[in-house]
Amino acid sequence: MNLNPEFERQLILECSQARLIGATIVLSAVFTLTYFLDDYRLGNITAQAALTLFMLITLLWGTRQSLDSIVEEYRDRTWDIQRLSALGPWQMAWGKLLGSTSMAWYCAGICLLVHALATDNPASLPLLFFYAIGTALLVQSAGLLLGLLAVQRGQLKTGSILILVLVGFIVFMPSLTDLTDTANYLPDNLQISSWYNLTVNAQTLHQISLLCALFWCVMGNYRLLAQDLGLRNLPWAWLGFTLFLVVYLGGFIPSSSYSFSLAAFAVCSVLTYVGVIVERHEPMRIKRLLDYYRQANWRRVGEELPLSALSFALSLPFAIFLSFQEQRYAWLDISLHAYPLAIALLVLRDCAIYLFFCFGKNPQRAFSLSLLSAALLYGILPGLFGAVGMTDISALFFPLWADSAFAALVFAALQCVLILRLLYQRWRKSV
Amino acid sequence: MITADKLIFEYPGLRALDDVSFKIASGSITALVGPNGAGKTTLLRCMAALDQPVSGAINIAGIDVLEQPRDCHRIIGYLSDFFGLYQRLTVRQCLHYVARAQGIFEADCAAAIEDVSRRLHIQDRLENSPAQLSRGLRQRVAIAQAIIHKPPVVLLDEPASGLDPEARHELAELFLDLQAQGMTLLVSSHILAELEAYCTDMLVLRQGRIVEQVAVKAPSLVKPFKLLLANPVENLLPLLQSLPGIKVLNSDNKQQAILQLDGGASQQHQVLKALIALDLTVCEFAPAASNLQDAYLQTIRHSS
Repeated sequence: MNLNPEFERQLILECSQARLIGATIVLSAVFTLTYFLDDYRLGNITAQAALTLFMLITLLWGTRQSLDSIVEEYRDRTWDIQRLSALGPWQMAWGKLLGSTSMAWYCAGICLLVHALATDNPASLPLLFFYAIGTALLVQSAGLLLGLLAVQRGQLKTGSILILVLVGFIVFMPSLTDLTDTANYLPDNLQISSWYNLTVNAQTLHQISLLCALFWCVMGNYRLLAQDLGLRNLPWAWLGFTLFLVVYLGGFIPSSSYSFSLAAFAVCSVLTYVGVIVERHEPMRIKRLLDYYRQANWRRVGEELPLSALSFALSLPFAIFLSFQEQRYAWLDISLHAYPLAIALLVLRDCAIYLFFCFGKNPQRAFSLSLLSAALLYGILPGLFGAVGMTDISALFFPLWADSAFAALVFAALQCVLILRLLYQRWRKSV
Repeated sequence: MITADKLIFEYPGLRALDDVSFKIASGSITALVGPNGAGKTTLLRCMAALDQPVSGAINIAGIDVLEQPRDCHRIIGYLSDFFGLYQRLTVRQCLHYVARAQGIFEADCAAAIEDVSRRLHIQDRLENSPAQLSRGLRQRVAIAQAIIHKPPVVLLDEPASGLDPEARHELAELFLDLQAQGMTLLVSSHILAELEAYCTDMLVLRQGRIVEQVAVKAPSLVKPFKLLLANPVENLLPLLQSLPGIKVLNSDNKQQAILQLDGGASQQHQVLKALIALDLTVCEFAPAASNLQDAYLQTIRHSS
């Protein structure tokens, strides 16, 4: 049988006979204990323990495994073997994702089986399994994505990435507790949500959202692996993801052209930050991009174009549109009718600051230095001058404090010009 | 077989490859030599489509490497200077994985592993983990991984580093064997004496530039002959120039000269007869041994 070689290799590594027997014995011991606690029957304690173990196994162990499946390749210098193979990015993505977590899924499968035997709500099982498996796959896929992003930045220690996953786990723990409430998965549990002008079953919307999130996460893995394998791609996936988010999130706010533009502007701005943080920033890449631009090689320009630049460009039309609207934010008692352009310029300034540090001598500190700069520019310096009554000077650092929209725009533009000039000088030095 | 055209690769603040152009003939074994930091590894990684140059083009067996990197990967074998092996697998499992990842069908894997392990003399190590092997054996496993799919082009970055003399000799034999099977090899190494045993061409790289590309073992070329006299002769050069069918390549003193003969063995006999007839005290008349190290050092000196 011609199995996916990467999946097969991971299976050999993970599912040895000794491990399979060992894991079965350990889980049997745990469920024997819960069986005793349940008065010698498969009852509620067993069902809850099985579900909790399922979550711990798939979300913590599974995520660590998927993360390590790529980080270890870099650490052991075997990544070049894979890059030189005939494996495609899709084969590699699912081979790593499902192969590295195969042992975790074996144990998780036992847990689900025990839960199915012990639950007093069998009607809720199909939906519960859907959410449990879907969420676990999503988190594991996100783990692989984080691993790919980490190794691209030369980060080969999984400890810090795992801390990130753990923090996420703790933050989402309350929602995960809801997951264990099987009453949520009963077929007659009808909750209504509205999306644009549609009234939909909340469960259906959640299911579709979960599948969409899983799809985009796997797509992210595919694109990052394709990039590492040397395949040239135009940024269609990023563009598609941006449009998806705009349309998807736009449906949850009151429907109007203004609110849609607001959602689009917010999504594009956030994705500009995300893009600039997750992408590799090599001065030579900018040089290649400019060379292709001079040669009018537009396909190559598209391939080398940073994703953050694309998101930023997409945010501009919405910023301009919003600037000409007379609407006011309902939750803020201040008029921001001309401020979106200033916000867009602030996004540009922040990205330029990050790149400025990336092109410096310690690019690994770029993120922390950028956070420090943001704290200074958004909080400390404006607060300092504001406290002594010099609000005009405050607006110079944080232009949204300016009374006039034009002044905010001018201050933001000034900052942009200054930082872009510094960035250009640093880039020239480094190439 | 391999063509590089105006290749430029830059690291921040350093041009690692500067307008590199060369051609490598099919079936040759080319030594890629140069001082540390000359750009050898960068050049090999660009050729293996692992790194992307700023500009230029590389063509291997009709495939544009920069445009079709995955197609290129199918027809090349590459051994990195700092290679890694899967320590938690056995050697057989490592080879099986690479064979499958290179598109060899499951049914053909056993034969491919058998063949490559026999060639590399690692048949008795197939059930060991790479962690249990010596540096030399690990190197052989890595080379086995690079050639298991029988690629027409093999790029090897310092393949002999860490090997003992016997293993180096076996490696030289392996390379000649691969060449005999029609493979084209590009081998980067510092050990010139070892390259001399099997290389047909030499590509000298210095400060990111190709300084020279020479044929070091070309059977079609006329080989130089060394003439050594027992006693010095004042007018040796005009005497030699007066003989038909020979060209004096070098005559540094009155006792020694390097000649180039036009024909084969009979011409060699005629020239020797003529030299004796001139009453020259010939004590040595034989093909001059080419020395890769001398050629390399001479090239490097000229270029600096």
